[in-house]
Amino acid sequence: MDQQFDYLKKLPDESGNLIRGLQLIQATEGYVSDEAIRAAAEYFHQTPVEVEGVLTFYAQFKRVKPGRFKIAVCDGTACHIKGAPLIQEWIRQAIGVAPGETDAEGRFSVEAVACLGCCSLAPVMSINGRVYGKLDRRELNRILKEYKDK
Amino acid sequence: MSIEFILDNRTVTAEPGETILDVARKNGIEIPTLCRDERISKTTSCFVCVVKDLKTGKFLPSCSACPAPGQNIDSSSEEVKDMRRTALNLLLSEHAGDCEAPCTLGCPAHAAVEEYVRAGKNGDFLGALKIIKQRIPLPLSIGRVCPRFCEKQCRRNVYGEPVAINEFKRTAADICYDEYMEQLPVLSGKKVAIVGGGPAGLSAAYYLRLGGIAPVIFEAMPKAGGMLRYGIPEYRLPKATLDRELAHFEKMGIEFRFNCRIGVNVDLEDLKKEYDAVILAVGCWAGSSMRCKGEELALSGIDFLREVVESGNTLANPGRVAVVGGGNSAMDCVRTAIRLGSADVNCFYRRTENEMPAEKLEIEEAKEEGVKFHFLAAPVKLEKHNGVLALTLRKMELGEPDASGRRKPVEVPGSDYTLEFDTVIAAIGQKTAAPAAVPTNKYGDIPQITGEKIYAAGDCVSGAATVVEGVASGRDAANLVLKDLLGIPVPQEHTVNVSRGKWQFLKKEDLVFLRDDVSEAPREQLKYISLEERKSSFKEVNFTMTPEQLKKEGDRCIECSCTDKHDCALRKHGECYHCDPEAIPGARQKLSYDIRHPHIIQDRSKCIKCGICVKTCKEVVNLTLLSPKLRGFATCVGTAFDQGLPASCSECGKCVEACPTGALDWRRKK
Amino acid sequence: MNPAIKFFRIGVASCGIAAGGAEVRSMLESASSVPVIGVGCIGHCYAEPIVEAVLNDGTSVFYSEVKATEKAISNIIELGEANRFEIPAVRKSKELVKVLALAGKIDPVNFDDYIKNGGYEGLKKALTMKPEEVVNEVKIAGLRGRGGGGFPTGNKWGFLAAKQADEKIVVCNADEGDPGAFMDRALMESVPHQVLEGMLIAAYATGATRLFIYCRAEYPLAIKNISSAIAQIYEHKLNVFSDRELEIVIKEGAGAFVCGEETALIASLEGRRGQPRFRPPFPTDSGYKGFPTMINNVETFGNVPLILREGGAAFASVGTEGSKGTKIFALAGDLKFPGLVEVPMGTTLNEIVFDIGGADRSVVKAVQTGGPSGGCIPVELFDTPVDYDSLRALGAIMGSGGMIVVGNDRCMVETARYFLDFTHKESCGKCTFCRVGTMRMFEILERITAGEGTEEDLAMLEDLGPKIKAGSLCGLGQTAPNPVLATLRFYRKEYEEHVREHRCTALQCNAFVDLALEQDKCVKCKLCIKTCPVGAIGDNFVIDNEKCTRCNSCADVCPKGAIKRVAKGTK
Repeated sequence: MDQQFDYLKKLPDESGNLIRGLQLIQATEGYVSDEAIRAAAEYFHQTPVEVEGVLTFYAQFKRVKPGRFKIAVCDGTACHIKGAPLIQEWIRQAIGVAPGETDAEGRFSVEAVACLGCCSLAPVMSINGRVYGKLDRRELNRILKEYKDK
Repeated sequence: MSIEFILDNRTVTAEPGETILDVARKNGIEIPTLCRDERISKTTSCFVCVVKDLKTGKFLPSCSACPAPGQNIDSSSEEVKDMRRTALNLLLSEHAGDCEAPCTLGCPAHAAVEEYVRAGKNGDFLGALKIIKQRIPLPLSIGRVCPRFCEKQCRRNVYGEPVAINEFKRTAADICYDEYMEQLPVLSGKKVAIVGGGPAGLSAAYYLRLGGIAPVIFEAMPKAGGMLRYGIPEYRLPKATLDRELAHFEKMGIEFRFNCRIGVNVDLEDLKKEYDAVILAVGCWAGSSMRCKGEELALSGIDFLREVVESGNTLANPGRVAVVGGGNSAMDCVRTAIRLGSADVNCFYRRTENEMPAEKLEIEEAKEEGVKFHFLAAPVKLEKHNGVLALTLRKMELGEPDASGRRKPVEVPGSDYTLEFDTVIAAIGQKTAAPAAVPTNKYGDIPQITGEKIYAAGDCVSGAATVVEGVASGRDAANLVLKDLLGIPVPQEHTVNVSRGKWQFLKKEDLVFLRDDVSEAPREQLKYISLEERKSSFKEVNFTMTPEQLKKEGDRCIECSCTDKHDCALRKHGECYHCDPEAIPGARQKLSYDIRHPHIIQDRSKCIKCGICVKTCKEVVNLTLLSPKLRGFATCVGTAFDQGLPASCSECGKCVEACPTGALDWRRKK
Repeated sequence: MNPAIKFFRIGVASCGIAAGGAEVRSMLESASSVPVIGVGCIGHCYAEPIVEAVLNDGTSVFYSEVKATEKAISNIIELGEANRFEIPAVRKSKELVKVLALAGKIDPVNFDDYIKNGGYEGLKKALTMKPEEVVNEVKIAGLRGRGGGGFPTGNKWGFLAAKQADEKIVVCNADEGDPGAFMDRALMESVPHQVLEGMLIAAYATGATRLFIYCRAEYPLAIKNISSAIAQIYEHKLNVFSDRELEIVIKEGAGAFVCGEETALIASLEGRRGQPRFRPPFPTDSGYKGFPTMINNVETFGNVPLILREGGAAFASVGTEGSKGTKIFALAGDLKFPGLVEVPMGTTLNEIVFDIGGADRSVVKAVQTGGPSGGCIPVELFDTPVDYDSLRALGAIMGSGGMIVVGNDRCMVETARYFLDFTHKESCGKCTFCRVGTMRMFEILERITAGEGTEEDLAMLEDLGPKIKAGSLCGLGQTAPNPVLATLRFYRKEYEEHVREHRCTALQCNAFVDLALEQDKCVKCKLCIKTCPVGAIGDNFVIDNEKCTRCNSCADVCPKGAIKRVAKGTK
């Protein structure tokens, strides 16, 4: 196993821990690379294709390195009816990144996600886990500018 | 301990662990399933096997549900069948591929094109001929005169020219026609009369004989062949070749009675009394009208061509010739006129060249031979002054598209002009001239079945059509007669044919190649006699392709039909349940196929996500080289890092054998 | 600093933090001389960040929408009048706060706080009873699963208790996947011990040896608080029974709605793709790694300590004939007071939406319950009492308790399209009806909302919908068509308008909408022209609807509200 992934040894190597292992990899690396898949397969006694099968099933796992700022636009029901599709469009207009994409500089990545659980503040987005609620166009652009300047 | 429950109103017994499906099979009740394979654990994915629990009203997957004591299970009601049909239609709606090759589907006779092309490519022309004759009993003729519906559908049209499919028929027949005699069954003793010895009548006779009936053909003309003999000129189909083709029919024991015109020399009522069935295949021998003043001064195209044949191709030079019409008959007329020595042959057509129904090749060849074409010109008047014909024409322009999608010609007022000719031929089209006492439809054509004992086939049913359509129609009539007289079931065509779509909408990337050596070479060209010879004689204009040429053509064939077309379970059940791949429209996944493995093709667009291959590889082979990936509609079966089945794959083929469709299959076709 | 103040509570659950609660908290901490306790959610999410000043006399003063400014903070510590907040009286009269009683009152991760407020008394009481007596008490209480299905909890416990096995598993399903539902998040963030206490009682009653909490990864604070609580349980050995020591494991979901389905959840716990399997065998016979396994939802467990504390009969005195106790709803959408609300089962939608939620009767069209598995209930039927059976009769479901109020300016076809977009992507991809069927329904809805729908499309929806429900393997597919079928049932006219008249009355579907600028209102500030990303607004302030993408940016920036959506082709 590639030494880079030695930290997997924190977990018991039973196959039931595969998802935890992948979560650990993603938390550490930001995504799950081919090498990581091979390492996880070896460590948890599975074949690489099985590991791929598991990780592609779950929305959490990323196969490409995300941007420095990960924007998650909530598209839960409350946010949707409060204009989540417009938020996505406005983000695209402001930083040129559509859901599912990362900009060329690797600065922003945007995704539309299932409910963030802050429905009462709809519409909501989070950037690197920090939640911003009650968004309108002005507020959104203000927040994005803040990150653009970082 | 075994239990009892009710299955389709019968009390049946289930042993512990048995599913409803198991019990149904034990009791001879057929339940379709696509995802159950006894060698692996249950996948419960396809839901084609649903049954209904009549007490709870719930549908259950019978492959996985074990019966409970006293349960009342319905496996055969319309409601259950409808659920199964919907499951199959949903699977068909995401299943992409060409069940059958488009050439075969395009052929009116559904000849197994890909198969005979493959045989021909491999030099097995006798094998090719046998396949061809299953649907086309006139390969010498059709190999020369067919307008090639097959080639118009060929997937090679997506990039370049189609495979020269028709040449396989011509070459195979030229080489092997005389040496092949079908296995003829013992005669049943039933008597069938066929009225008309053209393509449809001959085809009906052929398939009747193969079904155990030796029919009698009543032919109005002194020789058989119908339009093949009297409508198609010598230079396209030499009479010697036709005679060679027809000789085989007599060898098969088919009896011909010439100069027997129905209503003149024979009476339909007498035939009905004397024979168990009568097939009318009298063709379309009446020329259509030009619908203009003085039209009676014109010859009809079919009469002109017949006279030429009857004269032994020695009719006098027709002088300055005008042929009105844009179909294949018109081309036959103009090119015949050239060969009779005319130096001034003109073709008038009321639309433009793009709309001409004649084959492009025929038009090209006519141009080469010196025919002058006049488009957007319609006849309005024909007069005769001092033995010279004056044809008045009106200029046309194209207007809105009509029902057929072709743009309608519209008259340009005040644009009339008059030209002089010695001969004017109206090759507008032909109509059925039904014998008296035979009912006809509003077009003047005869229905396929007309009361007891009377059947019809060919042009007189469909209106003027092609030889291959006549042949297909003749076979249909024969099959009906065989069913009615001998109880032989009518062979069914496949009713489920999934298609990747019309080639006009496809790109090369959309095609699936079983081999990586599909030839990129251009289409082989026919070799012609010299232009001088063409213009001055009735000699056949081109030569039969050589086996070497056809090897090259065969290498160009993509072999686009599905590897699994003969035993695809999805297709089989789909046909059983009267499914329609177009019933539920929707997008299909865009997935690439994989032929990196030396023997196995993985065509994921055909995958129905049953999961059998994954479990077979894991549970039976113990390798786990396949896994489902993603989820939702995007779910697919993949290999590690999409690198294809790896070298470590034991090539055991168990996944291939277990796959219910052609998603995993051997690359080599049988 | 006003000396009447004993201490402060500040809401720092996810909603509070998202509204800026963390900044307020740190400012308040440095400004205040009395303790500042970070607490969970009191349900009034619309008012976050909320600060509660608890006075020496036991009463409280609430401040809402507190900003992280010196002015706002000094207002609070001086008990100023600004931003004071009072729970509306009508709401108070309708609510019955039992399960959420401690939420927002105690520090979620302070073990002693929980104990001081009656925590673990339910467990203590249970341990004095025989396990079967505990199961029986839950049966008497009439508690039904709060996760959506409404299966009687006591029966489920009974099944597991009856099993003989070396290991038995109890799982808390905290994979709250319904978009629009956040009751479980609030419970785990605010009163994690209460949920865990319920689990320990269940473990005692059923003979379980191992406990799993399967929680959405999108809930980091919930995971953190539950993890802290587990550590405290270990520390106080509450997981040690006379005959066994329980292992409590928290597992994070990885983003798959279908894992709310029992057998899929188990597959996921086992580290596999979260695909359901055919039942039977039921999990209580063969679940996690083949061991008998019982799965209850967060809120279900949250109810259990109350049942033990007050007794099953007392618990059952609240609610309706078939649905006992209280239910927490997450209110969101077009209403004034989005947030959490706990009411007795049987409270009508009118009471919840209008009296408690403060929605404006004139703009409400419907309420959507049960998320992607549920249906829409039109405002005309708002006198329906909310319980498992009444909702089911309307083609909706209780679901986990998400309630989205839908206003008149929302298109029901688009709403249905939204849900099918969700479900077809969340389908596990295993069974035909769900994998392909939901996709086909989604495509049809896309066509209709894009102006390309036909009458046959409506017929196809009505044909496919019931078949997908009848022929799908698990609850996801079995309920996925509900949003479509329910809207077709109550709002067929809207579908027909889209198809026949090419009209979207709600002016939501872009295919049927133009943007128009009212010249009378316009002050020529040019903000719209500068904002338009496609240059569709000319210097004459006329919108070129050929170019316009209907992104609504112009309408959003217009200071005068001069830009409006109008029916396509309106002159």
